[in-house]
Amino acid sequence: MTEQDGYNLRLYVAGQTPKSIAAVANLKKICEQHLPGRYEIEIIDLMKDPALAMRHQIVAIPTLIRQLPEPLKRIIGDLSNTDKVLVGLDIRPN
Amino acid sequence: MPEPDRDPELPLFRDADETVQAIHQGDVDAVVVMRDLEGPEVILLHGAEEPYRVLVERMSDGALTAGPDGVILYVNDRLCELTGSPSAHLVGRHLASLFEGEPPNLTPDVTAEARLLRNGDDAMPVAVWSRPIAIGSTTAILVRLTDLSIHRRAEQLAAAERFARSVLEQATEAIVVLSPGGHITHASWRAEQLAERPPVGCTFSAAFPLEAQNAEGSATLARFSTGSIDTILATRPFHGVEVKLRGECNAQSTYLLSAGPLVDDNRVSVGSIVTLTDMTERKRAEEQQTMMVAELNHRVKNILAIVQSVASQTMRSSGSLENFADAFSGRLKALATAHDILTETRWIGVGLSELVAAVLAPYRSPDDSRVSILGPAILLPTRAVVPLSMVLHEMTTNAAKYGALSTRRGNIEISWQVSGGSDKSVELVWQERGGPKLEAGASAGFGTKLIDRVISYDLDGKTRVDFDSAGVRWTISFPVGGRVAA
Repeated sequence: MTEQDGYNLRLYVAGQTPKSIAAVANLKKICEQHLPGRYEIEIIDLMKDPALAMRHQIVAIPTLIRQLPEPLKRIIGDLSNTDKVLVGLDIRPN
Repeated sequence: MPEPDRDPELPLFRDADETVQAIHQGDVDAVVVMRDLEGPEVILLHGAEEPYRVLVERMSDGALTAGPDGVILYVNDRLCELTGSPSAHLVGRHLASLFEGEPPNLTPDVTAEARLLRNGDDAMPVAVWSRPIAIGSTTAILVRLTDLSIHRRAEQLAAAERFARSVLEQATEAIVVLSPGGHITHASWRAEQLAERPPVGCTFSAAFPLEAQNAEGSATLARFSTGSIDTILATRPFHGVEVKLRGECNAQSTYLLSAGPLVDDNRVSVGSIVTLTDMTERKRAEEQQTMMVAELNHRVKNILAIVQSVASQTMRSSGSLENFADAFSGRLKALATAHDILTETRWIGVGLSELVAAVLAPYRSPDDSRVSILGPAILLPTRAVVPLSMVLHEMTTNAAKYGALSTRRGNIEISWQVSGGSDKSVELVWQERGGPKLEAGASAGFGTKLIDRVISYDLDGKTRVDFDSAGVRWTISFPVGGRVAA
Protein backbone atom coordinates (compact mmCIF):
# COMPACT_ATOMS: atom_id res chain seq x y z
CA MET A 1 0.00 0.00 0.00
CA THR A 2 1.40 3.31 -0.98
CA GLU A 3 0.66 6.55 0.76
CA GLN A 4 -1.11 7.76 -2.33
CA ASP A 5 -3.75 5.07 -2.73
CA GLY A 6 -3.96 3.96 0.96
CA TYR A 7 -6.78 4.97 3.29
CA ASN A 8 -5.78 5.89 6.82
CA LEU A 9 -8.98 6.06 8.85
CA ARG A 10 -9.54 7.00 12.44
CA LEU A 11 -12.83 6.16 14.13
CA TYR A 12 -13.72 7.94 17.34
CA VAL A 13 -16.02 5.93 19.58
CA ALA A 14 -17.39 6.25 23.14
CA GLY A 15 -16.71 2.92 24.86
CA GLN A 16 -19.23 0.30 23.87
CA THR A 17 -22.28 2.39 23.05
CA PRO A 18 -24.52 0.67 20.47
CA LYS A 19 -23.68 3.22 17.77
CA SER A 20 -19.99 2.94 18.51
CA ILE A 21 -20.13 -0.83 18.14
CA ALA A 22 -22.23 -0.55 15.01
CA ALA A 23 -19.82 2.01 13.52
CA VAL A 24 -16.83 -0.32 14.10
CA ALA A 25 -18.67 -3.22 12.46
CA ASN A 26 -19.93 -1.19 9.53
CA LEU A 27 -16.58 0.44 8.86
CA LYS A 28 -14.75 -2.88 8.81
CA LYS A 29 -17.36 -4.37 6.49
CA ILE A 30 -17.20 -1.44 4.04
CA CYS A 31 -13.39 -1.40 4.02
CA GLU A 32 -13.14 -5.14 3.39
CA GLN A 33 -15.62 -4.87 0.52
CA HIS A 34 -14.36 -1.68 -1.15
CA LEU A 35 -10.79 -1.14 0.03
CA PRO A 36 -9.35 -4.62 0.56
CA GLY A 37 -5.68 -4.37 1.49
CA ARG A 38 -5.70 -0.63 1.10
CA TYR A 39 -6.76 0.68 4.43
CA GLU A 40 -5.70 1.13 8.07
CA ILE A 41 -8.21 1.73 10.82
CA GLU A 42 -7.37 3.24 14.20
CA ILE A 43 -10.13 3.15 16.74
CA ILE A 44 -9.97 5.83 19.45
CA ASP A 45 -12.06 5.30 22.57
CA LEU A 46 -12.80 8.76 23.96
CA MET A 47 -14.28 7.25 27.12
CA LYS A 48 -10.75 6.28 28.06
CA ASP A 49 -9.04 9.48 27.02
CA PRO A 50 -11.46 12.35 26.17
CA ALA A 51 -8.52 14.69 25.49
CA LEU A 52 -7.90 12.87 22.22
CA ALA A 53 -11.12 14.51 20.93
CA MET A 54 -9.32 17.83 20.63
CA ARG A 55 -7.04 16.81 17.77
CA HIS A 56 -9.92 16.42 15.31
CA GLN A 57 -12.42 18.65 17.12
CA ILE A 58 -14.74 15.73 17.75
CA VAL A 59 -18.14 16.76 19.05
CA ALA A 60 -20.42 13.88 18.15
CA ILE A 61 -19.63 10.21 18.59
CA PRO A 62 -19.16 8.11 16.57
CA THR A 63 -17.18 10.15 14.09
CA LEU A 64 -14.96 8.79 11.31
CA ILE A 65 -12.00 10.87 10.13
CA ARG A 66 -10.25 10.13 6.85
CA GLN A 67 -6.64 11.18 7.48
CA LEU A 68 -5.29 9.84 4.20
CA PRO A 69 -5.65 10.42 1.37
CA GLU A 70 -5.87 14.12 1.92
CA PRO A 71 -7.87 16.21 2.39
CA LEU A 72 -9.29 15.29 5.77
CA LYS A 73 -12.88 14.07 5.65
CA ARG A 74 -15.37 13.64 8.47
CA ILE A 75 -18.44 11.36 8.63
CA ILE A 76 -20.66 11.39 11.72
CA GLY A 77 -22.90 8.50 12.71
CA ASP A 78 -22.84 4.70 12.89
CA LEU A 79 -21.86 4.35 9.19
CA SER A 80 -24.92 2.19 8.51
CA ASN A 81 -25.61 4.12 5.29
CA THR A 82 -22.98 2.51 3.07
CA ASP A 83 -23.59 4.83 0.10
CA LYS A 84 -23.11 7.90 2.28
CA VAL A 85 -19.85 6.46 3.59
CA LEU A 86 -18.55 5.59 0.13
CA VAL A 87 -19.30 9.08 -1.13
CA GLY A 88 -18.00 10.75 2.03
CA LEU A 89 -14.69 8.90 1.71
CA ASP A 90 -14.44 9.62 -2.00
CA ILE A 91 -14.43 5.91 -2.75
CA ARG A 92 -17.44 6.36 -5.00
CA PRO A 93 -18.04 9.58 -6.91
CA ASN A 94 -21.10 11.54 -5.89
CA MET B 1 -3.94 30.17 17.58
CA PRO B 2 -4.53 26.49 17.09
CA GLU B 3 -4.21 23.98 19.99
CA PRO B 4 -0.80 22.31 19.98
CA ASP B 5 -2.36 18.84 19.58
CA ARG B 6 -5.02 19.91 17.11
CA ASP B 7 -4.70 18.86 13.47
CA PRO B 8 -3.92 22.15 11.69
CA GLU B 9 -5.49 20.86 8.51
CA LEU B 10 -8.94 20.48 10.07
CA PRO B 11 -10.95 23.64 9.64
CA LEU B 12 -12.66 24.69 12.82
CA PHE B 13 -16.42 23.97 12.88
CA ARG B 14 -16.40 23.16 9.23
CA ASP B 15 -18.85 20.37 9.83
CA ALA B 16 -20.91 22.06 12.53
CA ASP B 17 -24.12 21.77 10.60
CA GLU B 18 -23.56 18.16 9.88
CA THR B 19 -22.85 17.49 13.57
CA VAL B 20 -26.02 19.18 14.74
CA GLN B 21 -28.03 17.34 12.12
CA ALA B 22 -26.53 14.00 13.12
CA ILE B 23 -27.43 14.60 16.76
CA HIS B 24 -30.96 15.58 15.81
CA GLN B 25 -31.34 12.53 13.63
CA GLY B 26 -30.16 10.24 16.37
CA ASP B 27 -27.08 9.12 14.45
CA VAL B 28 -24.88 9.61 17.50
CA ASP B 29 -25.19 8.40 21.10
CA ALA B 30 -22.43 10.45 22.72
CA VAL B 31 -21.08 13.97 22.48
CA VAL B 32 -17.91 15.68 23.63
CA VAL B 33 -18.27 18.86 25.66
CA MET B 34 -15.53 21.20 26.80
CA ARG B 35 -15.26 21.99 30.48
CA ASP B 36 -13.34 25.09 31.40
CA LEU B 37 -11.04 23.43 33.89
CA GLU B 38 -11.32 19.71 33.28
CA GLY B 39 -10.99 19.83 29.48
CA PRO B 40 -13.10 17.69 27.14
CA GLU B 41 -15.66 15.26 28.60
CA VAL B 42 -17.72 12.57 26.89
CA ILE B 43 -21.44 12.75 27.64
CA LEU B 44 -23.43 9.66 26.80
CA LEU B 45 -26.91 10.19 25.35
CA HIS B 46 -28.54 7.50 27.48
CA GLY B 47 -31.21 5.31 26.04
CA ALA B 48 -33.33 2.53 27.47
CA GLU B 49 -30.45 0.06 26.92
CA GLU B 50 -28.09 1.92 29.29
CA PRO B 51 -28.75 -0.28 32.37
CA TYR B 52 -28.01 -3.35 30.29
CA ARG B 53 -24.79 -1.85 28.97
CA VAL B 54 -23.62 -1.13 32.53
CA LEU B 55 -24.64 -4.64 33.49
CA VAL B 56 -22.49 -6.12 30.74
CA GLU B 57 -19.58 -3.83 31.60
CA ARG B 58 -19.63 -4.91 35.21
CA MET B 59 -20.67 -8.54 34.94
CA SER B 60 -18.40 -11.21 36.38
CA ASP B 61 -18.54 -13.25 33.18
CA GLY B 62 -16.62 -12.37 30.06
CA ALA B 63 -18.74 -10.89 27.24
CA LEU B 64 -18.11 -9.90 23.66
CA THR B 65 -20.00 -8.76 20.62
CA ALA B 66 -18.96 -10.03 17.22
CA GLY B 67 -20.16 -9.03 13.78
CA PRO B 68 -21.90 -11.48 11.47
CA ASP B 69 -18.47 -12.34 10.02
CA GLY B 70 -17.16 -13.31 13.46
CA VAL B 71 -14.94 -10.23 13.90
CA ILE B 72 -14.93 -9.03 17.50
CA LEU B 73 -16.46 -5.56 17.89
CA TYR B 74 -16.58 -5.22 21.63
CA VAL B 75 -15.22 -6.96 24.75
CA ASN B 76 -15.98 -6.20 28.39
CA ASP B 77 -13.35 -5.73 31.09
CA ARG B 78 -13.82 -9.22 32.49
CA LEU B 79 -12.96 -10.82 29.16
CA CYS B 80 -9.80 -8.71 29.04
CA GLU B 81 -8.92 -10.10 32.48
CA LEU B 82 -9.66 -13.66 31.43
CA THR B 83 -7.58 -13.47 28.26
CA GLY B 84 -4.85 -11.29 29.72
CA SER B 85 -5.12 -8.98 26.68
CA PRO B 86 -6.29 -5.37 26.50
CA SER B 87 -9.46 -4.50 24.62
CA ALA B 88 -7.48 -2.98 21.73
CA HIS B 89 -5.81 -6.35 21.08
CA LEU B 90 -9.06 -8.24 21.06
CA VAL B 91 -11.31 -5.94 18.99
CA GLY B 92 -10.87 -6.68 15.32
CA ARG B 93 -9.69 -10.28 15.85
CA HIS B 94 -11.81 -13.19 14.73
CA LEU B 95 -13.83 -14.82 17.47
CA ALA B 96 -12.38 -18.26 16.68
CA SER B 97 -8.84 -17.04 17.43
CA LEU B 98 -9.72 -16.72 21.14
CA PHE B 99 -9.95 -20.48 21.58
CA GLU B 100 -7.52 -23.34 21.74
CA GLY B 101 -8.27 -25.95 19.09
CA GLU B 102 -11.75 -26.11 17.60
CA PRO B 103 -13.85 -22.99 18.35
CA PRO B 104 -17.16 -23.67 20.10
CA ASN B 105 -20.25 -24.23 17.99
CA LEU B 106 -22.35 -21.11 18.58
CA THR B 107 -25.97 -22.20 18.61
CA PRO B 108 -28.34 -19.55 20.03
CA ASP B 109 -29.07 -20.07 23.72
CA VAL B 110 -27.05 -23.29 23.88
CA THR B 111 -24.06 -23.47 26.22
CA ALA B 112 -20.95 -25.16 24.88
CA GLU B 113 -17.59 -25.78 26.51
CA ALA B 114 -14.29 -24.57 25.07
CA ARG B 115 -10.77 -23.64 26.13
CA LEU B 116 -10.02 -19.91 26.16
CA LEU B 117 -6.45 -18.95 25.23
CA ARG B 118 -4.73 -16.73 27.75
CA ASN B 119 -1.78 -14.45 27.21
CA GLY B 120 1.24 -16.19 28.74
CA ASP B 121 -0.74 -18.81 30.59
CA ASP B 122 -2.45 -22.14 30.09
CA ALA B 123 -5.79 -22.23 28.32
CA MET B 124 -8.78 -21.93 30.63
CA PRO B 125 -11.97 -24.01 30.47
CA VAL B 126 -14.97 -21.78 29.73
CA ALA B 127 -18.68 -22.22 29.14
CA VAL B 128 -19.71 -20.32 25.98
CA TRP B 129 -23.27 -19.03 25.49
CA SER B 130 -24.40 -16.93 22.56
CA ARG B 131 -27.41 -15.13 21.10
CA PRO B 132 -27.84 -12.97 17.97
CA ILE B 133 -28.61 -9.29 18.61
CA ALA B 134 -29.41 -6.32 16.41
CA ILE B 135 -27.11 -3.31 16.72
CA GLY B 136 -28.53 -0.58 14.56
CA SER B 137 -28.95 -2.16 11.17
CA THR B 138 -26.31 -4.84 11.88
CA THR B 139 -27.02 -8.32 13.21
CA ALA B 140 -24.28 -9.24 15.65
CA ILE B 141 -23.64 -12.07 18.06
CA LEU B 142 -23.54 -11.57 21.79
CA VAL B 143 -21.24 -14.13 23.44
CA ARG B 144 -20.89 -14.78 27.13
CA LEU B 145 -17.89 -16.73 28.49
CA THR B 146 -18.02 -18.17 31.99
CA ASP B 147 -14.79 -19.18 33.71
CA LEU B 148 -15.17 -22.87 34.47
CA SER B 149 -11.77 -23.19 36.16
CA ILE B 150 -13.31 -21.81 39.36
CA HIS B 151 -16.07 -24.42 39.14
CA ARG B 152 -13.57 -27.14 38.30
CA ARG B 153 -11.37 -26.06 41.18
CA ALA B 154 -14.40 -26.00 43.46
CA GLU B 155 -15.30 -29.50 42.29
CA GLN B 156 -11.73 -30.68 42.90
CA LEU B 157 -11.74 -29.09 46.35
CA ALA B 158 -15.10 -30.66 47.14
CA ALA B 159 -13.81 -34.05 46.00
CA ALA B 160 -10.63 -33.60 48.07
CA GLU B 161 -12.74 -32.57 51.05
CA ARG B 162 -14.97 -35.64 50.64
CA PHE B 163 -11.85 -37.83 50.37
CA ALA B 164 -10.28 -36.31 53.48
CA ARG B 165 -13.53 -36.66 55.43
CA SER B 166 -13.84 -40.27 54.34
CA VAL B 167 -10.29 -40.98 55.53
CA LEU B 168 -11.01 -39.30 58.87
CA GLU B 169 -14.28 -41.16 59.30
CA GLN B 170 -12.65 -44.52 58.64
CA ALA B 171 -9.56 -43.86 60.77
CA THR B 172 -9.45 -45.88 63.98
CA GLU B 173 -6.98 -43.43 65.53
CA ALA B 174 -7.92 -40.04 66.95
CA ILE B 175 -6.85 -37.57 64.26
CA VAL B 176 -7.57 -33.85 64.17
CA VAL B 177 -6.63 -31.11 61.73
CA LEU B 178 -5.57 -27.81 63.27
CA SER B 179 -5.63 -24.40 61.63
CA PRO B 180 -2.44 -22.31 61.96
CA GLY B 181 -4.18 -20.56 64.86
CA GLY B 182 -4.52 -23.83 66.76
CA HIS B 183 -8.25 -24.41 66.27
CA ILE B 184 -9.61 -27.78 65.21
CA THR B 185 -11.09 -27.75 61.72
CA HIS B 186 -11.61 -31.50 61.22
CA ALA B 187 -11.80 -34.45 63.58
CA SER B 188 -11.95 -38.20 63.03
CA TRP B 189 -14.77 -40.24 64.50
CA ARG B 190 -12.44 -41.58 67.19
CA ALA B 191 -11.27 -38.04 68.05
CA GLU B 192 -14.88 -36.96 68.55
CA GLN B 193 -15.36 -39.91 70.90
CA LEU B 194 -12.32 -38.97 72.99
CA ALA B 195 -12.88 -35.23 73.11
CA GLU B 196 -14.25 -33.63 76.22
CA ARG B 197 -16.54 -31.46 74.05
CA PRO B 198 -17.43 -31.30 70.33
CA PRO B 199 -13.91 -30.69 69.03
CA VAL B 200 -14.41 -28.76 65.76
CA GLY B 201 -13.93 -25.05 66.47
CA CYS B 202 -12.19 -25.59 69.82
CA THR B 203 -8.49 -25.27 70.51
CA PHE B 204 -6.75 -28.62 70.90
CA SER B 205 -6.08 -28.08 74.60
CA ALA B 206 -9.75 -27.26 75.24
CA ALA B 207 -11.01 -30.39 73.49
CA PHE B 208 -8.27 -32.71 74.77
CA PRO B 209 -6.97 -31.67 78.23
CA LEU B 210 -3.65 -33.50 78.59
CA GLU B 211 -1.72 -35.02 81.46
CA ALA B 212 1.79 -36.31 80.92
CA GLN B 213 2.21 -40.08 81.29
CA ASN B 214 5.72 -39.95 82.70
CA ALA B 215 8.25 -37.50 84.15
CA GLU B 216 9.89 -36.86 80.78
CA GLY B 217 6.54 -36.13 79.12
CA SER B 218 5.53 -34.01 82.08
CA ALA B 219 8.65 -31.91 81.65
CA THR B 220 7.94 -31.55 77.94
CA LEU B 221 4.36 -30.47 78.48
CA ALA B 222 5.33 -28.17 81.35
CA ARG B 223 7.65 -26.26 79.06
CA PHE B 224 4.64 -24.96 77.21
CA SER B 225 1.71 -23.09 78.59
CA THR B 226 -1.74 -24.25 77.49
CA GLY B 227 -1.84 -21.51 74.90
CA SER B 228 1.53 -22.25 73.39
CA ILE B 229 1.01 -26.01 73.13
CA ASP B 230 -1.84 -25.24 70.74
CA THR B 231 0.53 -23.02 68.75
CA ILE B 232 3.28 -25.61 68.78
CA LEU B 233 0.96 -28.43 67.71
CA ALA B 234 -0.34 -26.23 64.91
CA THR B 235 3.01 -25.05 63.61
CA ARG B 236 5.81 -27.52 64.40
CA PRO B 237 6.42 -31.26 64.14
CA PHE B 238 5.84 -32.80 67.56
CA HIS B 239 6.47 -36.47 68.22
CA GLY B 240 6.42 -39.13 70.80
CA VAL B 241 5.11 -37.75 74.06
CA GLU B 242 3.04 -40.23 76.02
CA VAL B 243 0.02 -38.54 77.57
CA LYS B 244 -3.18 -39.29 79.36
CA LEU B 245 -6.42 -37.47 78.76
CA ARG B 246 -8.21 -36.03 81.72
CA GLY B 247 -11.59 -37.47 82.54
CA GLU B 248 -12.85 -40.74 84.00
CA CYS B 249 -13.49 -42.42 80.65
CA ASN B 250 -9.86 -42.00 79.60
CA ALA B 251 -8.20 -42.63 82.97
CA GLN B 252 -6.96 -46.11 82.04
CA SER B 253 -5.73 -45.23 78.58
CA THR B 254 -2.35 -43.98 77.40
CA TYR B 255 -1.88 -42.06 74.13
CA LEU B 256 1.11 -41.10 72.03
CA LEU B 257 0.78 -37.44 70.99
CA SER B 258 2.26 -36.48 67.60
CA ALA B 259 1.83 -33.57 65.18
CA GLY B 260 3.04 -32.96 61.65
CA PRO B 261 2.59 -30.09 59.20
CA LEU B 262 -0.29 -29.96 56.73
CA VAL B 263 0.92 -28.36 53.49
CA ASP B 264 -0.95 -27.10 50.46
CA ASP B 265 -0.14 -27.56 46.75
CA ASN B 266 2.65 -24.99 47.04
CA ARG B 267 4.25 -26.78 50.01
CA VAL B 268 3.16 -23.96 52.31
CA SER B 269 2.03 -24.99 55.78
CA VAL B 270 -1.67 -24.40 56.28
CA GLY B 271 -1.97 -26.05 59.69
CA SER B 272 -1.13 -29.42 61.13
CA ILE B 273 -2.38 -32.95 61.62
CA VAL B 274 -2.36 -34.14 65.22
CA THR B 275 -2.76 -37.79 66.16
CA LEU B 276 -3.46 -39.39 69.50
CA THR B 277 -2.44 -43.03 69.11
CA ASP B 278 -3.94 -45.35 71.69
CA MET B 279 -0.96 -47.01 73.37
CA THR B 280 -2.95 -48.81 76.06
CA GLU B 281 -2.80 -52.30 74.57
CA ARG B 282 0.82 -51.84 73.53
CA LYS B 283 1.73 -50.71 77.04
CA ARG B 284 -0.05 -53.71 78.50
CA ALA B 285 1.74 -56.03 76.09
CA GLU B 286 5.09 -54.44 77.01
CA GLU B 287 4.36 -54.80 80.70
CA GLN B 288 3.28 -58.42 80.18
CA GLN B 289 6.41 -59.13 78.18
CA THR B 290 8.60 -57.59 80.90
CA MET B 291 6.81 -59.68 83.49
CA MET B 292 7.17 -62.84 81.37
CA VAL B 293 10.89 -62.30 80.93
CA ALA B 294 11.30 -61.81 84.67
CA GLU B 295 9.22 -64.92 85.33
CA LEU B 296 11.21 -66.95 82.82
CA ASN B 297 14.44 -65.76 84.39
CA HIS B 298 13.15 -66.74 87.80
CA ARG B 299 12.06 -70.17 86.61
CA VAL B 300 15.33 -70.90 84.82
CA LYS B 301 17.19 -70.03 87.99
CA ASN B 302 14.84 -72.29 89.98
CA ILE B 303 15.34 -75.16 87.60
CA LEU B 304 19.10 -74.75 87.62
CA ALA B 305 19.00 -74.74 91.42
CA ILE B 306 16.87 -77.90 91.36
CA VAL B 307 19.22 -79.57 88.87
CA GLN B 308 22.23 -78.58 90.93
CA SER B 309 20.62 -79.90 94.10
CA VAL B 310 19.46 -83.14 92.44
CA ALA B 311 22.94 -83.66 90.93
CA SER B 312 24.79 -83.19 94.20
CA GLN B 313 22.31 -85.30 96.23
CA THR B 314 22.30 -88.05 93.60
CA MET B 315 26.08 -88.02 93.56
CA ARG B 316 26.24 -88.50 97.32
CA SER B 317 23.77 -91.42 97.27
CA SER B 318 25.16 -93.17 94.21
CA GLY B 319 27.66 -95.99 94.68
CA SER B 320 29.03 -95.77 91.18
CA LEU B 321 29.13 -93.47 88.21
CA GLU B 322 26.74 -95.80 86.42
CA ASN B 323 24.19 -95.57 89.23
CA PHE B 324 24.57 -91.79 89.24
CA ALA B 325 23.99 -91.60 85.51
CA ASP B 326 20.79 -93.73 85.70
CA ALA B 327 19.35 -91.92 88.67
CA PHE B 328 20.28 -88.45 87.49
CA SER B 329 18.92 -88.89 83.97
CA GLY B 330 15.66 -90.33 85.37
CA ARG B 331 15.22 -87.33 87.64
CA LEU B 332 16.01 -84.88 84.85
CA LYS B 333 13.43 -86.67 82.71
CA ALA B 334 10.83 -86.24 85.45
CA LEU B 335 11.67 -82.57 85.55
CA ALA B 336 11.32 -82.35 81.78
CA THR B 337 7.97 -84.17 81.86
CA ALA B 338 6.62 -81.71 84.41
CA HIS B 339 7.72 -78.80 82.24
CA ASP B 340 6.22 -80.35 79.14
CA ILE B 341 2.88 -80.63 80.90
CA LEU B 342 3.10 -77.09 82.18
CA THR B 343 3.95 -75.80 78.71
CA GLU B 344 1.04 -77.68 77.15
CA THR B 345 -1.31 -76.15 79.68
CA ARG B 346 0.31 -72.69 79.22
CA TRP B 347 1.40 -72.63 82.86
CA ILE B 348 -2.16 -72.29 84.02
CA GLY B 349 -2.01 -75.48 86.08
CA VAL B 350 -2.31 -79.22 85.66
CA GLY B 351 -4.86 -81.77 86.78
CA LEU B 352 -3.45 -84.13 89.43
CA SER B 353 -4.80 -87.14 87.51
CA GLU B 354 -3.01 -86.06 84.32
CA LEU B 355 0.26 -85.49 86.16
CA VAL B 356 0.18 -88.92 87.81
CA ALA B 357 -0.71 -90.57 84.51
CA ALA B 358 2.14 -88.81 82.68
CA VAL B 359 4.79 -89.79 85.24
CA LEU B 360 3.62 -93.43 85.42
CA ALA B 361 2.89 -93.79 81.68
CA PRO B 362 5.99 -95.99 80.98
CA TYR B 363 4.77 -98.54 83.60
CA ARG B 364 1.10 -98.71 82.79
CA SER B 365 -0.24 -101.76 80.92
CA PRO B 366 -2.96 -101.39 78.30
CA ASP B 367 -5.62 -102.70 80.74
CA ASP B 368 -4.34 -100.58 83.64
CA SER B 369 -4.12 -103.72 85.79
CA ARG B 370 -0.73 -102.75 87.32
CA VAL B 371 -1.34 -99.11 88.02
CA SER B 372 -4.71 -97.72 89.02
CA ILE B 373 -5.38 -94.03 89.51
CA LEU B 374 -8.43 -92.91 91.51
CA GLY B 375 -9.42 -89.53 92.76
CA PRO B 376 -11.57 -86.44 92.18
CA ALA B 377 -10.55 -83.92 89.56
CA ILE B 378 -8.30 -81.26 91.01
CA LEU B 379 -6.25 -78.56 89.36
CA LEU B 380 -2.75 -78.31 90.85
CA PRO B 381 -1.26 -74.86 91.29
CA THR B 382 1.62 -74.23 88.87
CA ARG B 383 4.20 -74.10 91.65
CA ALA B 384 3.21 -77.60 92.81
CA VAL B 385 3.63 -79.33 89.45
CA VAL B 386 7.44 -79.68 89.32
CA PRO B 387 7.91 -80.75 92.97
CA LEU B 388 5.03 -83.22 92.81
CA SER B 389 6.35 -84.57 89.53
CA MET B 390 9.74 -85.18 91.14
CA VAL B 391 8.07 -86.88 94.14
CA LEU B 392 5.99 -89.17 91.91
CA HIS B 393 9.10 -89.95 89.86
CA GLU B 394 11.00 -90.99 92.98
CA MET B 395 8.14 -93.20 94.16
CA THR B 396 7.90 -94.78 90.72
CA THR B 397 11.68 -95.35 90.54
CA ASN B 398 11.68 -96.92 94.00
CA ALA B 399 8.76 -99.15 93.03
CA ALA B 400 10.58 -100.21 89.84
CA LYS B 401 13.79 -100.95 91.67
CA TYR B 402 12.60 -102.41 94.95
CA GLY B 403 8.81 -102.46 95.11
CA ALA B 404 5.67 -103.54 93.31
CA LEU B 405 6.92 -102.73 89.82
CA SER B 406 10.04 -104.88 90.32
CA THR B 407 7.95 -108.11 90.15
CA ARG B 408 5.56 -109.35 87.51
CA ARG B 409 2.53 -109.56 89.86
CA GLY B 410 2.94 -106.32 91.72
CA ASN B 411 0.61 -103.37 91.32
CA ILE B 412 0.16 -99.86 92.59
CA GLU B 413 -2.99 -98.00 93.56
CA ILE B 414 -2.73 -94.24 93.67
CA SER B 415 -5.74 -92.47 95.17
CA TRP B 416 -6.45 -89.11 96.71
CA GLN B 417 -9.07 -87.12 98.46
CA VAL B 418 -9.67 -83.42 98.79
CA SER B 419 -10.58 -81.93 102.14
CA GLY B 420 -11.00 -78.51 103.68
CA GLY B 421 -13.11 -75.47 102.88
CA SER B 422 -11.57 -72.43 101.26
CA ASP B 423 -8.04 -73.72 101.94
CA LYS B 424 -8.26 -77.13 100.37
CA SER B 425 -5.67 -79.80 100.82
CA VAL B 426 -5.01 -83.08 99.08
CA GLU B 427 -4.21 -86.37 100.78
CA LEU B 428 -2.63 -88.73 98.30
CA VAL B 429 -2.04 -92.43 99.13
CA TRP B 430 0.49 -94.46 97.13
CA GLN B 431 -0.21 -98.11 97.96
CA GLU B 432 2.00 -100.86 96.55
CA ARG B 433 0.94 -104.49 96.57
CA GLY B 434 2.51 -107.78 95.46
CA GLY B 435 6.11 -106.62 95.59
CA PRO B 436 9.01 -108.01 97.56
CA LYS B 437 8.67 -107.77 101.32
CA LEU B 438 10.37 -104.60 102.55
CA GLU B 439 11.23 -103.25 105.95
CA ALA B 440 11.32 -99.74 107.22
CA GLY B 441 14.59 -98.04 106.36
CA ALA B 442 15.34 -100.43 103.56
CA SER B 443 14.97 -97.76 100.94
CA ALA B 444 15.83 -94.65 102.89
CA GLY B 445 18.21 -93.47 100.19
CA PHE B 446 18.18 -90.13 98.44
CA GLY B 447 14.81 -90.97 96.87
CA THR B 448 13.08 -91.10 100.23
CA LYS B 449 14.97 -88.05 101.47
CA LEU B 450 14.01 -86.15 98.34
CA ILE B 451 10.35 -87.04 98.84
CA ASP B 452 10.42 -85.88 102.44
CA ARG B 453 12.28 -82.70 101.61
CA VAL B 454 10.21 -81.71 98.62
CA ILE B 455 6.85 -82.36 100.27
CA SER B 456 7.91 -80.51 103.37
CA TYR B 457 9.70 -77.51 101.85
CA ASP B 458 8.34 -77.08 98.34
CA LEU B 459 4.73 -78.18 98.87
CA ASP B 460 4.44 -77.20 102.54
CA GLY B 461 2.99 -80.65 103.22
CA LYS B 462 3.56 -83.82 105.24
CA THR B 463 4.78 -87.33 104.40
CA ARG B 464 4.31 -90.67 106.04
CA VAL B 465 5.64 -93.98 104.86
CA ASP B 466 4.40 -97.36 106.12
CA PHE B 467 5.77 -100.78 105.31
CA ASP B 468 3.01 -103.31 105.87
CA SER B 469 2.63 -106.86 104.69
CA ALA B 470 1.13 -105.88 101.35
CA GLY B 471 3.87 -103.45 100.47
CA VAL B 472 5.02 -99.89 100.97
CA ARG B 473 2.42 -97.15 101.46
CA TRP B 474 3.17 -93.46 101.12
CA THR B 475 0.66 -90.98 102.48
CA ILE B 476 1.38 -87.38 101.49
CA SER B 477 -0.76 -84.36 102.09
CA PHE B 478 -0.31 -80.80 100.86
CA PRO B 479 -2.45 -77.66 100.45
CA VAL B 480 -3.74 -76.65 97.02
CA GLY B 481 -5.82 -73.56 97.91
CA GLY B 482 -9.29 -73.45 96.36
CA ARG B 483 -8.36 -75.04 93.03
CA VAL B 484 -10.82 -77.92 92.70
CA ALA B 485 -11.83 -78.37 89.08
CA ALA B 486 -15.48 -78.22 88.16
